[in-house]
Amino acid sequence: MIGPEATLQDSITPLLQGSFIMESLADIEGRIDSARRTFAEVKAEIARVIVGHEELIEEVFVALVCGGHCLLEGVPGLGKTLMVRSLGAILSLSFSRIQFTPDLMPADITGTNMLTDDPSGRKLFEFQRGPVFAHVVLADEINRATPKTQSALLEAMQEQGVTVGGKLHLLENPFMVLATQNPIEMEGTYPLPEAQVDRFFFKLILQYPSHSELTRIADLTTAAPPAPLREILDADGILQLRQWVREVPLADVVKDYAVRLIMSTHAQQETNGGASLAQRYVIYGSSPRGLQSVILAAKARALFAGRPNVSVEDIRALLLPSLRHRLILNLEADADGVSSEKILAELITHVAEVA
Amino acid sequence: MTAEVTKLQSKFAELLRWERQKRREQILLLAAGGALALAVLLSPLHIFLPLSGLRWIVPILLLVGLVQLLFYYRRWRPADATRAVVAMDRKLGLDERAVTAWELAGRGDQSAAAQLVFQQTESRLRSVQPRFMFPRQWAWPAYTVAPLLLFWFALLWFDFDQPVFQQPSAVAQGLAQKLREFARDFQEKARAEGLRESLKLGQELEKLAQKNFADNANDEQLKKDLAGVKQKLEAAGNSGQQTQSIAGAESEQSLKDLRAELEAARDMLNLSDGVKAPQQWMDRLASMPQLRKQLDRARQERDDGKGLGQQELQSLLDRLDQQVAGALDRRALIDAQQYLEQMMQQGQGKENNQAAQMAGRGEQDEPGDGVREKNHSNLPGNEPGKNDDRLGSLPGFRADTRTQIKGQLGEGESSGVMFKAKPTPGKSALAPQEVVADYRHQAEQELNSEKVPAALKETVRKYFLSLEESRK
Repeated sequence: MIGPEATLQDSITPLLQGSFIMESLADIEGRIDSARRTFAEVKAEIARVIVGHEELIEEVFVALVCGGHCLLEGVPGLGKTLMVRSLGAILSLSFSRIQFTPDLMPADITGTNMLTDDPSGRKLFEFQRGPVFAHVVLADEINRATPKTQSALLEAMQEQGVTVGGKLHLLENPFMVLATQNPIEMEGTYPLPEAQVDRFFFKLILQYPSHSELTRIADLTTAAPPAPLREILDADGILQLRQWVREVPLADVVKDYAVRLIMSTHAQQETNGGASLAQRYVIYGSSPRGLQSVILAAKARALFAGRPNVSVEDIRALLLPSLRHRLILNLEADADGVSSEKILAELITHVAEVA
Repeated sequence: MTAEVTKLQSKFAELLRWERQKRREQILLLAAGGALALAVLLSPLHIFLPLSGLRWIVPILLLVGLVQLLFYYRRWRPADATRAVVAMDRKLGLDERAVTAWELAGRGDQSAAAQLVFQQTESRLRSVQPRFMFPRQWAWPAYTVAPLLLFWFALLWFDFDQPVFQQPSAVAQGLAQKLREFARDFQEKARAEGLRESLKLGQELEKLAQKNFADNANDEQLKKDLAGVKQKLEAAGNSGQQTQSIAGAESEQSLKDLRAELEAARDMLNLSDGVKAPQQWMDRLASMPQLRKQLDRARQERDDGKGLGQQELQSLLDRLDQQVAGALDRRALIDAQQYLEQMMQQGQGKENNQAAQMAGRGEQDEPGDGVREKNHSNLPGNEPGKNDDRLGSLPGFRADTRTQIKGQLGEGESSGVMFKAKPTPGKSALAPQEVVADYRHQAEQELNSEKVPAALKETVRKYFLSLEESRK
């Protein structure tokens, strides 16, 4: 830089830098503390109506602040819908539920142009928004709808908008789809194609509640209804959290670890530290989306844990929900009862933290 | 750059310095252990070293090579620095804060998030001392160095590194001892007879024997040294032969007699009257056979029929004395040469060829003329010391009588000497004194070598005494 102005700026900058950093330092400490408290409050509030599934709730919240969508898999009656509805209530977000059936049409999701009269009596098409226009959308039993309908939803998820009649209609922000699948009733269903499954940030498995949890469920649901859920966070708060998450520093060592984990899911890679299951059972490993998912989720986890940086443990903790639906296994894996979870667990134990 | 970052970088530098130091120590220990192990394994190859003293520096050379190799292959890489910081992270349970701070500081990141990481990391690392947190951990090479060093040292100190065939054999030691004794006797003889060349070579021989004996030299080394000395002896013998005119014609005994007569003649010459001396001396010298022969030869050379003057006589005596001394010196050297040849043959483990002791006598046999032939005398005989019952029937020897001893053919060794006389027109003859002297010489060596049974030694001595008597 040349000239008196540049010289003045150059001399002032270092003087200002110290105070700027101190101010920002206090600010960022406040952010981290705020995020950690918010997360704790959300969990506690949901725990009032949902028994168990703490980890699942954490992961759904992580996916929300990362701007991702979740695919929930579990038998009916485990509280999937209640959980999503509760989340919508706590977060002060609009919530809609779509029950997917074979006869569901794309327009039933996205909405359609309706012929209406304007005040002057002229006929015109007006777009009637479908249920997808909500902050949180529960796509119940998504695999029961035809691929055409599934695609309409998945396209909306990916593009954050729907195009009807040649006009793009943007969806709400934040926008999150929580799709559910029933793993046991597979007859008459349309399994999601791998390419579309890959668009989900997480795939979460709902486990059957334990004895104590069932007892608590009985107590909770057969007595007087609990007090209405308190709104803890609004859409702006979530968007703010999204920004903070992306500012969490990530060390190259940790990033390299995540990359090596992703690469080791590919059968032809030799960076898996001797893990053999991936070599044997995986046809296609994780896509780059898997890496994005893992790292972003790890950042969110670190933020909610009150840490200013991502740790290796964050990567490990979120590897399964991020990658379990991204591994395409061969028939031999099906025959041998080897799941993607087992393969990923083996990779976690074999891949070294530092190359 | 904030104070936290400066402190952090200092702390990281301290940690990395310590880790690098440990790495260097580990490499050195590994190299030392490896070098010693290799030195022990390679110890059988010490025989190929040009100098035996070099074996002591083999581990040092290996160490130098291994250190360079290991410092290259295990050199400090950026990943090692990362590992060190991650290890500290893990040890302190910092959830990768330290490594994040280290990387952010390296990048010069001044964002608020980075500053928070610096602050939190610095507060945790403030009291950390890398030396105490990560003390030296000796791996197995550290524990093997000392035992290997001791083992290697013992191996060399006690010469276990020398293979069996290269160890100083009893034969080599025996030969060295024998050579030393011979050298001492040889010097004594040379000193007594005033043989300067022989004395010098005798001293050299003694030094050589002493060196081989002290160094526990093996057969090969001894033979090599002996060959060197033998060459010197040959050279000295040949040079003497060229300069001596009297040597070739006389036997050792006659030379000794001549020398004694020369001394007596010189004494007489010194005590005599200067005027009458020449004629008187000529008369008295006539009673000395060997000297007379030389004087006759001198007269013939003058070819004027006149007697020698005193000055001429004195000069002749001096010249003869020098020639006799030279001839005796040369004979002694040839004897020594033959003895060394015999020793070398013994060193090769061959059968002791006693004939070689007598082969190549100066005036009779030129080098290469001493041909051993298979005849009845060198056919295998009975083993010495056996069939003692037959020895009892050996006849006594008297002068001027013919006595014949029948040899017994069978197992065992025998030797013989072929004499070659200088051809003269019509005949080829040798003086009996020369033949007897050579035989006696051989017999004496055989007797000294203890290969002749004790009962027979006296008989042999008597036999040669009888021959001496017959000559008189």
